[in-house]
Amino acid sequence: MKLLVIEDERSLLESIIQYFKQEKFVCESAGTYAEGIRKIEDFQYDCIILDINLPGGSGLQLLKYLRQDKKTDGVIIISARDSLDDKITGLDLGADDYLTKPFHLSELNARVKALIRRKYSEGKSILELGNLKIDLLARAVLAEDQPIGLSKIEYDLLLFLATNKNRVVSRQSIAEHIYNGPSEQVPSYEFVYSHIKNLKRKLKEKGCNTILQTVYGLGYKLLS
Amino acid sequence: MNKSLQQKNTRYLLVWLPWVLLAGTFIFYILMNEHAHHMQEQQLKLKQENVWNAFLLNPEVRAFHIRGEYELEKGVPLPKELMNKRRDTAVYYPGEKEWVRFGILTKPYSYKGEPFQLTTYISSKEITHLIIKVLFAEAFIFILLLIAIVIINRKSSRVLWQPFYDTLKKIKEYDIIKNKAIQWTGTTGIEEFDQLNQVTETLIRNVNQAYSNQKQFVENASHELQTPLAIIRSKVELMIDNPALTEDTARLLTDITDANERLSQMNKNLLLLAKIDNNQFSERSSIHLSDITEKLLSYYEEYYDGDSPVIRKKIKPGIFVPANASLIEILINNLIRNSVVHNLPGGWVDIQLNDHELVIENTGYPIPGDTEQLFERFKKGREESKTTGLGLSLVKQICDLYRYTLHYHHTEGLHRIRVIFGNGGLQNSSQIDP
Repeated sequence: MKLLVIEDERSLLESIIQYFKQEKFVCESAGTYAEGIRKIEDFQYDCIILDINLPGGSGLQLLKYLRQDKKTDGVIIISARDSLDDKITGLDLGADDYLTKPFHLSELNARVKALIRRKYSEGKSILELGNLKIDLLARAVLAEDQPIGLSKIEYDLLLFLATNKNRVVSRQSIAEHIYNGPSEQVPSYEFVYSHIKNLKRKLKEKGCNTILQTVYGLGYKLLS
Repeated sequence: MNKSLQQKNTRYLLVWLPWVLLAGTFIFYILMNEHAHHMQEQQLKLKQENVWNAFLLNPEVRAFHIRGEYELEKGVPLPKELMNKRRDTAVYYPGEKEWVRFGILTKPYSYKGEPFQLTTYISSKEITHLIIKVLFAEAFIFILLLIAIVIINRKSSRVLWQPFYDTLKKIKEYDIIKNKAIQWTGTTGIEEFDQLNQVTETLIRNVNQAYSNQKQFVENASHELQTPLAIIRSKVELMIDNPALTEDTARLLTDITDANERLSQMNKNLLLLAKIDNNQFSERSSIHLSDITEKLLSYYEEYYDGDSPVIRKKIKPGIFVPANASLIEILINNLIRNSVVHNLPGGWVDIQLNDHELVIENTGYPIPGDTEQLFERFKKGREESKTTGLGLSLVKQICDLYRYTLHYHHTEGLHRIRVIFGNGGLQNSSQIDP
């Protein structure tokens, strides 16, 4: 999978690149508007991670240019602007997703994976992890072909961990990911713990060999 | 003691004007008397002339006199210095049994070498009466004048000071948040007031400018903070994924993460406050309050999964308010969150919503000190590191915006917040119960 990150903040850019390299992505980067334009003209990417405020121009302009060029690269905007209007503008211009800064890399990863799944693997909607199968369309989980009854929150939690498999995912990023209440403000991170506990219990009951690890007090890791 | 301009003005007039009028009356009396004497003297002289002429026509009558009219005497017994001067005297009338005051004038004459002195009399009674009557009339006119001056003064000062009162009213209505535009209608026609208006206008313009810069600054600063926060977050995420992570490092990272999360939350809230300040949530629609409250509560129950305090609710369905959806969600979410987060183990939350108010009551720790400060930015009831200190000030800000009245009441371990919708306090929309 080929990924282009257009972000002027060098440090953040490096983090993103490092993270996605570990995910076995082929990563390229651009730090300015002009560099971004050059790269999208020359190559085709599966996903472009695009910042809005760039030296030399706006990420939105770049997006417009890309779509006028009839290119279908997936685009995820990352921006410090968090108003609904900004999001709508971005999505109207043809972005596939919009993430506000500061974001979690695991969240960005989940969004990129979801985008790629949507775009390139229409038929394949089963995620496999050892003897665990997640049916993305039916939102069902099977262990050894036996269905596990998970609540909506537990399902979201498992899918998020599966998307970030073999990595430590922080409590905070889990909380922010699975909390899709009407308010952006996550009530507290404490609730993650009890849902993890339930999920662990249910996986164990079904003899699932996929191991859900707690990494010190920091977060959780799903091993395949 | 402070009095209004008009009262003050009237007081001055009433204190000083009577003295002026009194002095005027006195001077008037003296002048009148002077004139009366002068007139009497003229009359006496004329009479003297007439009597002497009559005497010359009939000089055989050597000496004669008529009481109260004239008196011709041979010889000059009167001292010289009293001659030709008007004097006062009184003559007794036995018939009426009274003394009558006269003005008299004596003049020396000589007839065929013989000296005479002729004294003429003119009654002073009438002229005195006239003077008294005139004085009374004058006093009456002066009193009328005093009243008229006070009334005219009050009226004219009301008209004169009108621009001042207009300006005062406008400044009173000025509110840096709700009503920041002051419009002066043309010139007042009075130089000082025009100057006052100009100075006030400049002052207010500067204040507005400073305020708007300040708000803009907060918004920009919060925006700029997002990127470094994102960098810290991403670096920490890379670190926790490092296989060589030790427990000690993990503990440090937990603290860094917690602090960083709190910082981003704080920053988000600050940005939100700045946006509310900058009126970026002006669009309103009809918000289904009952629905939103139910939904938020169900999220709490769902996510907390038994860990949360017992939530009791009595929510009247079908309640709508005109507001911005995001802000109402933040308002209710923060209130519920507050009641859940600051609760005791095994505590409860009681939520009631009806047509005119939302009441949230919950168990919690007693709050020491001034509870009024709870709604100020960065004031916390208890020193707790997991909260941002901005939740309740957001609540207050939103209540202020929609003019809801906010009541907070707290007795030992029991907290109650009431949000009263509708025509709540327009001026001071946040009050704290004693």
